[in-house]
Amino acid sequence: MRKKSALMGGIAALALAAPAFAEGEITIALNEELEVVEPCMASQSNIGRVILQNISETLTELDPTNGQLKPRLAESWSEVDADTWSFKLRPGVTFSDGTTLDGADIKHSMERAVSEALTCEIGAKFFGGMKITVDVKDDTTVEITSDPAQPILPLLMSTLTIVPAETPMEFVRSPVGTGPYVLAEWNAGQNIILTARDGYWGDAPQVTKATYVFRSDDAVRAAMVGAGEADIVPLINQNDATDAATDFSYPNSETTYLRVDNTIAPLNDIRIRKAMNLAIDRDAFLGTLIPADAIKAVAMVVPSTLGSNPDLTPWPFDPDQARALVAEAKADGVPVDTEVEMVCRIGNFPNVVEVCEALQQMFADVGLNVKLNMMEVAEWIQVYSKPFAEDRGPRMVMAMHDNNRGDPVFSMFFKYACEGLQSGLCDADLDKMIAEATAATGDARAEAWKPVFKRAHEDLVADVFLFHMVGFSRVSEKLDFVPTIATNSELQLSQIKFK
Amino acid sequence: MADIAPVTPAEKGRLRSVLAMLWADKPAFVAAIFLCVVLVCALIGPALLDAVATKQNLRGRNAPPFDLSKGWLLILGGDALGRPLLARIIVAAQNTIAIAAGAVVASMIVGSALGLVAGYSRGRWAQIIPRLADVIMSFPSLLLAVIVLYMLEPSAANIILVLAITRIPVYLRTTRAEVLEVRERMFVQAARVMGASDARIVFRHILPVVLPTLLTIATLDFAFVMLAESSLSFLGIGIQAPEVTWGLMVAQGRPYLTSAWWLSFWPGLAIILTTLSLNLLSNWLRVALDPQQRWRLEMGGRKNG
Amino acid sequence: MRKFLTRRAVASAVSLLVLIVMVFFLSRLTGDPTQLYLPVDASLEARENFRNLHGLNDPLIVQFGRYVGDLLTLDFGDSIRKSRPALDVVIEAFKWTLTLALITMVLVSFAAIVFGALAAFNVGGVFDRIATFFSLIGASAPDFWIAIVAIVLFSVNLGWLPTSGTGTLWHWILPIAVLFIRPFGLILQVVRGSMITALSSPYVKTARAKGVRPRPVIFVHALRNGMLPVITVIGDQAAGMLNGAVVVESIFGFPGVGKLMIDSILQRDFAVVLAAIMVTAFAIFLMNILIDIAYAVLDPRIRY
Repeated sequence: MRKKSALMGGIAALALAAPAFAEGEITIALNEELEVVEPCMASQSNIGRVILQNISETLTELDPTNGQLKPRLAESWSEVDADTWSFKLRPGVTFSDGTTLDGADIKHSMERAVSEALTCEIGAKFFGGMKITVDVKDDTTVEITSDPAQPILPLLMSTLTIVPAETPMEFVRSPVGTGPYVLAEWNAGQNIILTARDGYWGDAPQVTKATYVFRSDDAVRAAMVGAGEADIVPLINQNDATDAATDFSYPNSETTYLRVDNTIAPLNDIRIRKAMNLAIDRDAFLGTLIPADAIKAVAMVVPSTLGSNPDLTPWPFDPDQARALVAEAKADGVPVDTEVEMVCRIGNFPNVVEVCEALQQMFADVGLNVKLNMMEVAEWIQVYSKPFAEDRGPRMVMAMHDNNRGDPVFSMFFKYACEGLQSGLCDADLDKMIAEATAATGDARAEAWKPVFKRAHEDLVADVFLFHMVGFSRVSEKLDFVPTIATNSELQLSQIKFK
Repeated sequence: MADIAPVTPAEKGRLRSVLAMLWADKPAFVAAIFLCVVLVCALIGPALLDAVATKQNLRGRNAPPFDLSKGWLLILGGDALGRPLLARIIVAAQNTIAIAAGAVVASMIVGSALGLVAGYSRGRWAQIIPRLADVIMSFPSLLLAVIVLYMLEPSAANIILVLAITRIPVYLRTTRAEVLEVRERMFVQAARVMGASDARIVFRHILPVVLPTLLTIATLDFAFVMLAESSLSFLGIGIQAPEVTWGLMVAQGRPYLTSAWWLSFWPGLAIILTTLSLNLLSNWLRVALDPQQRWRLEMGGRKNG
Repeated sequence: MRKFLTRRAVASAVSLLVLIVMVFFLSRLTGDPTQLYLPVDASLEARENFRNLHGLNDPLIVQFGRYVGDLLTLDFGDSIRKSRPALDVVIEAFKWTLTLALITMVLVSFAAIVFGALAAFNVGGVFDRIATFFSLIGASAPDFWIAIVAIVLFSVNLGWLPTSGTGTLWHWILPIAVLFIRPFGLILQVVRGSMITALSSPYVKTARAKGVRPRPVIFVHALRNGMLPVITVIGDQAAGMLNGAVVVESIFGFPGVGKLMIDSILQRDFAVVLAAIMVTAFAIFLMNILIDIAYAVLDPRIRY
């Protein structure tokens, strides 16, 4: 024992004192390490929180407060014709390598994002199934054409990170961007350090140096703010969010639902799908397993999204009616006793196991035979996304869908069209409505989406919606920063102020 | 012991002397009683309490322990779905003990058998078997778990398979190490000279010397296996809800460690107490079985009896 | 000795080869990584493109041939996730784990042998009871409990140590302390058991009866005889630490190879899985050779 304390003393003498935090420096604790620091992968939330608008900027930017687009690297934009939009670039913008932003950079960034040699996530996620060409008119004007026509092309441009035209067609390890910060250090496994740079076109930010560290354990991450080791933890577990002074909840644009395979008995009977919706006591979840600030969902996208339908109401909790519907279906020969598999994904969101166990119990209470199957992500994704197995039984898949872009087009085709990769149904009318809404422009667009939501939720009862979720962040009391819906995908250091 | 129906006087006497020796070692005696309780829970728990253990109450979740006002079942508190922890621990005993015992016994038998061959033989097997252990040791248990459970169902039997395979090397290598030394001892050499068969030498002379160490490792392996099963569940590869084991309960309580400690504490305590009891009992057993040490218990027994 | 070493080196190389073949083919049975890498909405063409880009469409045997061919030029392939050479990623992480395991195992071996031997010297005594009790609790308690409670106590409440991370020597104390506990309990029990057997064996009794003094002579003599299983168990624990200090690494944010391996397995980043297994296997094989040499040194009767 004496030996040990002597050893401890030795270590203590050798150890360096923890560095005191200087003014303008903050530490941010993320939940997992960044695999790459590549601008064209910035749509992944952890990469986005480091890169997006800090290192790499976009032409346009979605304002989380009102859902409107605001200028960033483009000063203005206008529609040339149905296929083509013209963007006027902000003059005098320089990259951190000293070169000046011009049209060629936009062209290269676009080509890079969709290049087959890179498989960038931004390309695959936002520009799949379309062909985009960038035409450089002069140094500060580009015309972007899409085939088929994209009425929301300016919105799509809020996802595309701009890199210099010299960037190679492979993943970079030291990204160059137009943003207020540069990557100063990347110590793999330990931290990533961004520092403010001179020559940024906008206002100089208050935060001069940001250190990102990675802790996968929820409890540890949350404890770091109290221990003075971190200033912002963008993601803490709801069970740890107990301190009103530092813990903020924010809508994270995620929607949880059960995707129901509408093609297989007994789930192909609308009465069974109605009964499932009626069987769930959604209010019992709120404030218990699901945070109290979550909202009962009626659609795949959060209410702040364009075209949300305010006339839709969540299904009530009515087990008696649910039992009656099941009995009615049974009388008509629907095989209601068939075991229905409910697939949930481990670690999908906090308390997912408990939520699924509770759902199973609620289904059982109204006479539905549901078997819970918890899966690891690689297995889960095989049943969530097409191609589905030919010999599958009746199945529901719990999923959480994220649409933070403000337009339903990023959700509805994939989740509801016959060809949609995660669609559990095929309805010709719905397909037509989705196609119309996708092509609609201006005010007509919002109006075109509303009936799509109604068709899915009320007419077809396509799936079982649960909640629009919230996330929790912990922010040190010395900072003036309130998380928003955007915090799920980015963390703009320039918006962080000191008290 | 209980199922020996016709008890002859001699057996009765032996049973009594075993009990007396157990009584002489008070901690071991308590441990034996605790293990009997666990066994009873494992045998009849699910039949008795399954309905209670799965009854959810979302609005009464994470009920704190030691509150008798909601009934004795909630004395240890409720879990994240309001289910009584006491009932769940009792029900979970069956799966837990079956998996842990299955994995430990299987790996011990296979591992020590291979170890005996590897240590005793001087031929090709002495070279090949230890290398096999090297390969298994270097094969990450998690990868094995993913492979087995991705292709088969995550059932109790498959979990046993995964855990047993990963634990084979430790028995194999320990047995081999001891055999390497024991086979050079005088009495083994003497037995060989007197013409005893290899099987007789191995089972009558070598195995008894090696066994105590194996038992020590095996009892602690019980805890290891239960916790390994817990981390597999945590990563999404082991036993999954709605099935229940102590390990799964510990894993599920993890997010609540700082807010509702009892969720993972009680099942964890069950694991600790079971391990502790097994170890105390195995320590007692090794003394009771060793003719050179038995006097400790017999003297103690007389003193107390 | 040289003959033994040559034979072992050859045998270990063959084992490594067997291991590579097994891991390569078995790991591919766990599914196609494509959908894990691409966003869930990625089109079927994008998936096909990804598979072609990473050679996932070729028959397994062709993929294996390519892998072995690259291996001969010391190219361990690239991590798809990190788009960097897999070996670089693994070596970076392995350095941390090796240091952690080495320090911990030295401390554990020393402490467990001393405490275990002392416990064995007076079986059933107060010291024996206390040592057994606490070592068993430590060995059977879930490690994340100990880690989280230690962080809450020493970092949050007392503010003595950093919660997690790397950087200063202070950062090493909690991970080592937590990692220490389980092997300490197990090794202590094995030492204690071996020592009891050794101390009650006829020759030690004779020595005692003859009044051989000082006591340490008996002690050391008995220890030496009971050492074989102890070394084996120490080796087993060290191997476990080399490829699986996962809980400690992930809780304390230590960038070690255990966490890397788990992440890579779950994400089906096969090149990293293979490289990590090869590096840890190399270390484990080396350690096992050293252990076999140690047997022969401790007990001159043992020959291979």
